[in-house]
Amino acid sequence: MEYEIVVGLEVHAELNTKSKIYCECHNAFGLEVNTQCCPICMGMPGTLPTLNEQVVEKAIKMGHALHCDINRICKQDRKNYFYPDLPKAYQISQFDVPLCEHGYVEVMVEGKVKKFGVTRIHIEEDAGKLLHGGESFEGSLVDFNRCGVPLIEIVSEPDFRSSADAKAYLEALRSILLYLDISDGKMQEGSIRCDVNVSVRPKGSDTFGTRVEMKNVNTFSGAVRAIDYEAARQIEVLENGGTIEQETRRWDDAKGVNILLRSKEDAHDYRYFPEPDLPTIVVPQEKVDELKASITELPNLKVIRYVKEWGISQTDAETIIDNMEKSEWLEAMMKTGNCTAKAAANWILGDISKYMNETGKSLVETKLTPEKMAELISYIEKGKISNAAAKQVFEILLTEDRNPMDVVKEKGLIQISDEGALEKVVADVLANNEKSVADYKNGKTNALGYLTGQCMKATKGQGNPQKLKELLLAALEA
Amino acid sequence: MIDIKHIAKLSRLCVTEQEEEKFAKEMENIVAMIQDLPQLDDTGALMDPNQPMILREDTAQQHFKRDALLQNAPQTKAGCVVVPKVVD
Amino acid sequence: MYQYTAAELSSMLKKKECSAVEVTESVLGRIHAVDDKVGAFITVTEELALQKAKQVDEKRVAGEALHDLAGIPIAVKDNICTKGVGTTCASKMLENFVPPYSATVIEKLERCDYVPVGKVNMDEFAMGSSTETSYFKKTRNPNDLDRVPGGSSGGSAACVSAGEVPLSLGSDTGGSIRLPASYCGVVGLKPTYSSVSRYGLVAFASSLDQIGPLGRSVADVAMLYSAICGRDNHDATSAVREYPDFAASLQADLKGKVIGLPKEYFGHGVSDKVKDAIMKMAHDLEQQGAVLKEVTLPSTDYALNAYYIISSAEASSNLARFDGVKYGFRAKDYNGLVDLYEKTRSEGFGDEVKRRIMLGTFVLSSGYYDAYYKRAKLLQQKITAEFHNAFEACDVLLTPTAPDTAFKIGENIGDPLKMYATDICTVTVNIAGLPALSVPCGYDGALPIGCQLIGAKFSEQNLLNTAFAYEQSVGGFNRIPQIR
Repeated sequence: MEYEIVVGLEVHAELNTKSKIYCECHNAFGLEVNTQCCPICMGMPGTLPTLNEQVVEKAIKMGHALHCDINRICKQDRKNYFYPDLPKAYQISQFDVPLCEHGYVEVMVEGKVKKFGVTRIHIEEDAGKLLHGGESFEGSLVDFNRCGVPLIEIVSEPDFRSSADAKAYLEALRSILLYLDISDGKMQEGSIRCDVNVSVRPKGSDTFGTRVEMKNVNTFSGAVRAIDYEAARQIEVLENGGTIEQETRRWDDAKGVNILLRSKEDAHDYRYFPEPDLPTIVVPQEKVDELKASITELPNLKVIRYVKEWGISQTDAETIIDNMEKSEWLEAMMKTGNCTAKAAANWILGDISKYMNETGKSLVETKLTPEKMAELISYIEKGKISNAAAKQVFEILLTEDRNPMDVVKEKGLIQISDEGALEKVVADVLANNEKSVADYKNGKTNALGYLTGQCMKATKGQGNPQKLKELLLAALEA
Repeated sequence: MIDIKHIAKLSRLCVTEQEEEKFAKEMENIVAMIQDLPQLDDTGALMDPNQPMILREDTAQQHFKRDALLQNAPQTKAGCVVVPKVVD
Repeated sequence: MYQYTAAELSSMLKKKECSAVEVTESVLGRIHAVDDKVGAFITVTEELALQKAKQVDEKRVAGEALHDLAGIPIAVKDNICTKGVGTTCASKMLENFVPPYSATVIEKLERCDYVPVGKVNMDEFAMGSSTETSYFKKTRNPNDLDRVPGGSSGGSAACVSAGEVPLSLGSDTGGSIRLPASYCGVVGLKPTYSSVSRYGLVAFASSLDQIGPLGRSVADVAMLYSAICGRDNHDATSAVREYPDFAASLQADLKGKVIGLPKEYFGHGVSDKVKDAIMKMAHDLEQQGAVLKEVTLPSTDYALNAYYIISSAEASSNLARFDGVKYGFRAKDYNGLVDLYEKTRSEGFGDEVKRRIMLGTFVLSSGYYDAYYKRAKLLQQKITAEFHNAFEACDVLLTPTAPDTAFKIGENIGDPLKMYATDICTVTVNIAGLPALSVPCGYDGALPIGCQLIGAKFSEQNLLNTAFAYEQSVGGFNRIPQIR
């Protein structure tokens, strides 16, 4: 039988606020254990939470980005469970009224635009970290630094039909989080983590199979492996006449397998109830509108536009959009109407990226502007200068605030494209290089390169190489 | 019947056989009392928009030294609280 | 000197008729003399008290402007965090817990230069009505040492009643200030929810808990309340508003004031002696120009049920953090994490705390939330609305604080339901978030009877004024019993 994979994702993103969600401790990663905490985030008796307004604002921005309804009146709830990394023994989260819900996101997957549903986005606090000692030590150690780091949990609809769908969605979320300055998006620091829900069903069926939840998926490529593994596991169980149990499994990316964490019977009873220490959240409508207005075109939609309107490949579009400045440059260059998107994209991904990588500088630190860059590209496209000449001018424009044409003229880089003038050059070169002409005619086609070089030399490098080559060929074949 | 064993487990309390009987009886009586509540119209989520919360400005400060925060911990090592080995 | 009220001491200190050190030595002497009988204190901070008193005297000599509470000894319930001084909640769980921070109310009192004499006994984690569930000791009613002082702030009421301090802080979740005030014959105020910061009060039921003052006069209670109320940015539930100087604004004028008598509070279960005392007080107020009016609060009968559901649910969550990991008691022998949790919590908590935790866990558990917690919260809205209606017609409601006078130690400890029933007159006030004051209004033999004055939100001044008028007409409440 042929099966269809159904996947839903719960993404946790740490927000890049200055302070934690419920206390004034620094929201910082990688510092010495238990130095970024206080009685509040350590859950000491008598302490109380106070909600950081930036957490609410950033979550609403993400809600707008994902076309959600914003519940500007909402509340927080306690999720009760015992674990050493959760000092209060409850996580302050949101249960029945999340800050944002009923949204969607459009993402380009393998050249096609797909729309994935977003069930809800809610705000909550992160837990601490358990460190496992060496062999000499029996126990585990608890570091509370991460307790109270603000999180948003973005829950998707079960709309993904392949691991590629899921990966594209995850990458789109990450790019949006970065674009809107909501999260630093550092995967290696655990800033974005996800739980994956996987089920399979016979192709064509419209009911869902029993879903299995997978924890500990820490990278996007890991998500792909985890989904593919779990789907294959479920299909094998079904093919052997078994049934899928609703359970939670733990993904082990190093081994490429998952193992049972808990069955349905052991499922937690979280005993959610409204957090009595925090009154109702009421965000003024004007604030909600203001946050919406602050959102410019998002990276996922930019990809779609670059591909559809400008004919740039999806990969190139994504690479450019990944860097805010590069994408701003492309936009600005296109706005001049002076160059084609392909040429602009090639320059950005080529010489411009090379310069940025090598120097570690951003383009604002140079004298070059997108307008000058577009003009320079237009010279190539109109055949006024050669590609090599343009590179020379590019280097100069990085450090000198000058008009591109002035540089071209000063360096004598204008290309000779006049056919009459070039024909004369070709005739002279052919006359002076009889041996090469003979070689070519005897089948040594590489003689053409030598002859072209001679022509370029005769024009002091300013002949249009394409035209010269055409004229040489015409003369030789005549 | 109230499943005292289950409730105790959820509460991370252990009850002996004797205690189980005692607590079960007491709980039955208490629950019998408190369940007498009138049926009222559900007014939706438990929120009060007339008392909106004042949110905290996003500024960070460090007030506490680690030693002070760990001074009450039953067992510490290397600046951390120690618990029996767990796998997460 | 210990027998003076705080207002009297304050005036003597200002006039330099005595020093703060003398006042402090006097109350410490009284504590040494009677507390082995009364058992109010868990910790006496003698050195700290004398050191602070000395500082106050120095400041006064230097001519610094000082608060009325400067140099006044105040005892603090042991569930209010005091930096560097043990805060046990009368539980084995926190026997050795020394907080590295102070509650907001303590910081406020420190700015007033109060004299911290110590931490006083209570029911374990404030769960109880008799102070018998304390892990450390029984506190006895100074009016009759065989009887309970009431609870959960039994230590706070007993130490004031016995003349060990002029003022104390208690906390009130379902009557825990008013009931012991009533049993011990002192004045106790449960303020409007949100008027006093809860930061640093070890939570029992967060939506109901409120810190409040106890004293031997209305003016003293007003003075301490003024010092502790106000918006606190560390408590998101704290109200943003300005408060008057309650003591300075006290007025004994009752003319035209409408005093409501809710009939549900005078039903069966309330002793005749108590009813008579309340009515006597009502008529006293009437003679001073107040108008009496019978009112009805129909949902009162369900209030106790809603209270036990809401308070236990919140408690089950609030007390989950006591797990032997970060602070407090940890069981000795355990095998793995779950065993550590279960042994620590089973050995660290007493039976009443366990009962409430399990009850709270039950009402929140899967499948029961709507039948219990949700319905209790809906009833809470109804009760609040009924009070609102009552206060359209009345300025103050007058009820008994408790159905009867203090019971004997051990009398109710084996019967949780009987114990819970002592809160029947007080819990509605917490459920509706209202202020209420308990004042002494007579005796049954040696045992004081308390009258509860309930007001609309933030009407503390009105309650205090009413009580002040009554206090004036009966010649004062300050009466320290012989301890025998």
